[in-house]
Amino acid sequence: MAVQALAPRSEPVRVMKDPLGNSFEYCYQCGLCTASCRTAFAMKFTPRQVMNLLQLGCEDEAAASGSGMLCTACYSCTFRCPRGVAVTDMMAAIQRLNIHRKHADRDIRRFYLSFMRTVERHGRFHEIEFMTRYFLPNPLLLRAELGVGFHLLTKGKISLNPAGVKNTKAMAAMFHKAEEIEGRL
Amino acid sequence: MSYVYYPGCSLTGTARECEESIQSVMRFLGVKWTELEDWNCCGAAVATGVSYLLSLALPARNLALSEKTEADLVTGCSRCYLNLIRAQHYIQHNANLKRDVNAVLAEAGIQYAGTARLRHLLDVIINDVGLDTVAEKVTQPLSGLQVAAYYGCCQGMWTYAQFDSTEDPTCFDRLLAALGAEVVYYPLKQACCGGTLSMSKRAVGAPLIGDLLLAAIAVEADCIVTACPLCTFNLNSFQNEAGRAKGTKFNMPVLFVTQLMGLAFGLPPKTLGLHRNVVPPDPVYRKIAAGAAASSAEAVASGTK
Repeated sequence: MAVQALAPRSEPVRVMKDPLGNSFEYCYQCGLCTASCRTAFAMKFTPRQVMNLLQLGCEDEAAASGSGMLCTACYSCTFRCPRGVAVTDMMAAIQRLNIHRKHADRDIRRFYLSFMRTVERHGRFHEIEFMTRYFLPNPLLLRAELGVGFHLLTKGKISLNPAGVKNTKAMAAMFHKAEEIEGRL
Repeated sequence: MSYVYYPGCSLTGTARECEESIQSVMRFLGVKWTELEDWNCCGAAVATGVSYLLSLALPARNLALSEKTEADLVTGCSRCYLNLIRAQHYIQHNANLKRDVNAVLAEAGIQYAGTARLRHLLDVIINDVGLDTVAEKVTQPLSGLQVAAYYGCCQGMWTYAQFDSTEDPTCFDRLLAALGAEVVYYPLKQACCGGTLSMSKRAVGAPLIGDLLLAAIAVEADCIVTACPLCTFNLNSFQNEAGRAKGTKFNMPVLFVTQLMGLAFGLPPKTLGLHRNVVPPDPVYRKIAAGAAASSAEAVASGTK
């Protein structure tokens, strides 16, 4: 089978398989994903090229290109794919390679991890805590956000004491269990 | 029909104006709901980039909580809706995934059975309340106001697949038309606003927002109306940055759908959170007032005939 001939060189990351069956192996390179993608213009490798790289077993090259970090998860490509490939989930898998193998830009990586850490601790997003975690290691980033920050504060859109879930210990336990099952990738 | 309402994190924080208008308008329409007790973050657009399993388990916890209430789970946030329906869909079609998700949920003492009924706010307004009822409640018709209905991306695809066309949804246009507004043809109605890139990678995010604003100007819209809190936040907050990327200056009012509905129902702007919008919606007020003056002058004129 052609699909087997395209079997990736390296062990494919488990979660790159679409849970509903269709993986990047089914891609026939039509490019409808790239045509549907609003951020493809800024990617080193477009979604179609990323699918091709995965078919060739070059997942590290795909991750190093940073293309995955530009996916906004709008799901247009996934909805339109004539081969039923969950392109968005594949791009997310590349993001995880970036985040966990530390390929990603340090600031973007911290953006993701700070967000999830905040949710792990409270069960909900917590603006102040997130901003402390994200901006403190690189306060220069704040410069670009002054306008937005000023607006959010003056319009009363940042709650200083937001609510969380009742049992935060159980929330943390959920995060640990997920990590245990997945082995983090 | 009974509902539980899932606000989600942005509606309680950075999108407070959306939340205020949703509550005011739904109360006005006579829709009763209670807030989903002990809800948690759905993982936004971030969880998939960190953990595949958590990106399903976080929304599944909310679905499981709603199952206990046996009511329809309603959300006004497109990203929450997308994450919830994605989890529902994937878990339904994959037994292994369901086992893993429930193993995670077991840590919080709950299980997801798969019976939750998920509804989008627009779905409830359009299909349960109904456009006829909406039109009846209008006291301040928006005649003369040209609006661009911006469906947004995850809206257009996953959401509208449930009750409208995937590639060319029209329900939002019909809702705004029921308010008396003039809905202009807006070619980028389903183009993604860039989501979190406006914050994490501005050089890419800003021009995307600029394109949406330029398109609205090109079709002579007085304002853009959105159905997603993140779109509302992006299109409102980054007009300066988008203007710099496109070499122009933007001052386009961007309203959340229930904010415009509230104006048509004659609700006070403050109860609709309109004072929290970054771009002041004053041109919209003026246009509505002008439209009202014109139609009453018309009524007087036809009366004297």
